[in-house]
Amino acid sequence: MKTLKYTIALLALCSIATSCKKTPAEEIVTPVSTDLNAEILSSISSNVAEATYYDLSVKADQLYAAVQKFDTVTNDVNLAVCKQLWRDTRAVWEQSEGFLFGPVATNNIDPRIDTWPVDYVALDSLMNSSVVFSETYVNTLDDALRGFHPIEYLLFGTGGNKTATQFTAREKAYLKALSVNLKNLISQLWVSWDPAISGNYGANITNAGKPTSVYSTKRAVYEEIVNSMIGICEEVANGKIEEPFAAQNPLLEESPFSYNSITDFTNNMRSVQNVYLGKYLVDGKGLEELVRVNNLSLDASIKTKMNAAIAALNNVTVPFGQAIISQPIQITNAQNAINDLKTTLENDLLPFIKTSVN
Amino acid sequence: MKSSIKYIIALVLFVIVAESCRKPEQLKEEDHNEYLSGGSQTVFDEGAGAFSNSFMGLSPKNEFNHGVGDGIFDRTFVSAPSPVNPGLGPVFNGVSCASCHVSNGRGHTPAPGEQMISLLMRISVLGENEHGGPVSVPGYGEQLQQRAIVGAQPEASVDIQYSYQTYSFPDGETYELRTPSYTLQNGYIPIPSDIMLSPRIAPPMIGLGLLEAIAEEDILARQDVEDVDGDGFSGKANYVWDVVKQKKVIGRFGWKAAAPNLLEQAGFAFSEDIGITNFIFKKESNYNPLQGNNSSDTPELSDSLVHAVAFYIKTLAVPARRNIDDPEVKKGKEIFKVAKCSKCHVPMSKTAVNVAFPELSNQTIFPYSDLLLHNMGSGLSDGRKDNLAEGYEWRTRPLWGIGLTKKVNGYTHFLHDGRARNFIEAIMWHGGEAAQSSGYVSQLSKADRNSLIKFLESL
Repeated sequence: MKTLKYTIALLALCSIATSCKKTPAEEIVTPVSTDLNAEILSSISSNVAEATYYDLSVKADQLYAAVQKFDTVTNDVNLAVCKQLWRDTRAVWEQSEGFLFGPVATNNIDPRIDTWPVDYVALDSLMNSSVVFSETYVNTLDDALRGFHPIEYLLFGTGGNKTATQFTAREKAYLKALSVNLKNLISQLWVSWDPAISGNYGANITNAGKPTSVYSTKRAVYEEIVNSMIGICEEVANGKIEEPFAAQNPLLEESPFSYNSITDFTNNMRSVQNVYLGKYLVDGKGLEELVRVNNLSLDASIKTKMNAAIAALNNVTVPFGQAIISQPIQITNAQNAINDLKTTLENDLLPFIKTSVN
Repeated sequence: MKSSIKYIIALVLFVIVAESCRKPEQLKEEDHNEYLSGGSQTVFDEGAGAFSNSFMGLSPKNEFNHGVGDGIFDRTFVSAPSPVNPGLGPVFNGVSCASCHVSNGRGHTPAPGEQMISLLMRISVLGENEHGGPVSVPGYGEQLQQRAIVGAQPEASVDIQYSYQTYSFPDGETYELRTPSYTLQNGYIPIPSDIMLSPRIAPPMIGLGLLEAIAEEDILARQDVEDVDGDGFSGKANYVWDVVKQKKVIGRFGWKAAAPNLLEQAGFAFSEDIGITNFIFKKESNYNPLQGNNSSDTPELSDSLVHAVAFYIKTLAVPARRNIDDPEVKKGKEIFKVAKCSKCHVPMSKTAVNVAFPELSNQTIFPYSDLLLHNMGSGLSDGRKDNLAEGYEWRTRPLWGIGLTKKVNGYTHFLHDGRARNFIEAIMWHGGEAAQSSGYVSQLSKADRNSLIKFLESL
């Protein structure tokens, strides 16, 4: 669902050029200094992307450790820890979805850890089979049988209130293999950005414009980043929310077992905010600094709209699967707020980038 | 996987002024803006989402249809009778369109230990079927499915081995070509010894609607089956069975130009690649009687959604070229011409007038393909006839967008089976009538080779 945006009235080939000088007035912009430019890109790479992926890897390790402990000592206290760590890991992952480019896509990590829906029929067959759940085995499974959502299904159960006593030995074995698989795939993702490892993806960003980078210019990186921000807004408003809402079908909800969908969406919006502000755990330089050099009103508009999108999601007070039926106004408002942000990113921020950076 | 950016180029090609007024047919390649690979459906996006932009100027209704198709293209199918997206398999190659066409881009050969996902095997035995196409392999069908849902058995597995050979240019720089060999293993029933394999890697999805909109007579006008003009390049159209129309038509899509149009290509892929039956291809791809059968099935995807996917594919825009004014790129373009690459990778085409679909109508586009079959030599031959295409004949791959492969997909695995790992390897594999081009390149200086690559990277 790609909507279109700007019309660059490209009259370049107009051979009546002399009478056709109605090209849009070029905005007079102060070129952003090379130093600032480099600082922003370096900060987005290290302070946002690397920091997020590192934290993700830490959380995935903790989740696996908790699952191991639950496997050994199966009680509700340990189960609660697992459930919380699933949410914590999920929160970081969703905060990475505002920059879904690079190894997460090209190394096929995303589908292997975040495919939806869960293949329940196959999962039931697995439970009733005699296969040994090793990480090697899980690696051969289809995407709909591994990653966040099968783990969610096993941990929370339908209804979200699964208790420790309901777990079978096979469920625990599968859960353990799934958790180690998730941890390992996330570890691969972190390693692909780890600045200590040569060939890390961040180097493409900080070296943009040099022959060693896949980005021929710094502007190309900025465009990649802004396009990704736009992409997640599109996906949340017009995919993740719209599809279950339009169909009025809670079965189409993305994280139905944990009732975590609204939190997922909110963290997606935070991801956009993180990139814009250059901030994950600590503040750094982000797109904000670039915009503020030339256009304070655009900066204010983007910040207002990011906050509005998050606030609109917070106004949904029941789990998403219920809200699509019982809170249609709040859901529509959230979609509108996210689409409003998307429109500003598309129609104002992207053109701004094109005129401000080379 | 949804990058959604775009710019509309309200492209006003008013090239008509009194004193220089020329008829459109007389326009030459250089009269057009080379940035605009997809004509008015060119998008200025050189990022990871460059292959995922819709056409510009679609009506709200068509944009909605594009969005619906996008959703289905990304849809992960699971085992029936799951409440959501059921119907996968029982045997299949991928779980979704997007699992092979990652980011709408090109597939890759599996790394050691990795599942074979975006590379598949068409299979047949000797002969021709009633429509002149390949003959299905008894018990296996037209395509090998090497994966299966839980509880079912894949048809077979594929072992890929490469042998490596090093060559050098006159300046001493070396390059290595890897030659694949494929062995089928673990067949669910004995694999016929006379089985023939044709590996195919998932191609990028951009600009396909524009290619479909090129008039048949324009494609045919480029044919020179007997090489009457004596330039060493032939060009032959494939003719294939159109299941919907129930007659033979020109083939346009796929590595052998064996698919007549995007709708049937999509329907075939749903059925064979994912195991999703539909109104065009009604039979499950499974032949194993222990896990269902190969008989007609209630369609697992509704007619309208198959149409929506075809519409989505039809309306994916083409990324603009980059750096066309770079002197090195210009030099590379000249070399591309002198090396006669452009004999088959014909830069410019025009789409037919179509008043019902103005976005596709009358566009000057730069796909760098003549959409015809050419003899590519024994080194690339799969030794298997596919309609009129001999084993050594392959349809000229459109080159538009190829320079963005690395960024979109992380890999640059070129040619029909992904054996070439970069541009030089891809060029040097060109044999048959293209041998004169690879021969020319083999004698170039390093600087000229680099210029040629720069040019390809600008596409």
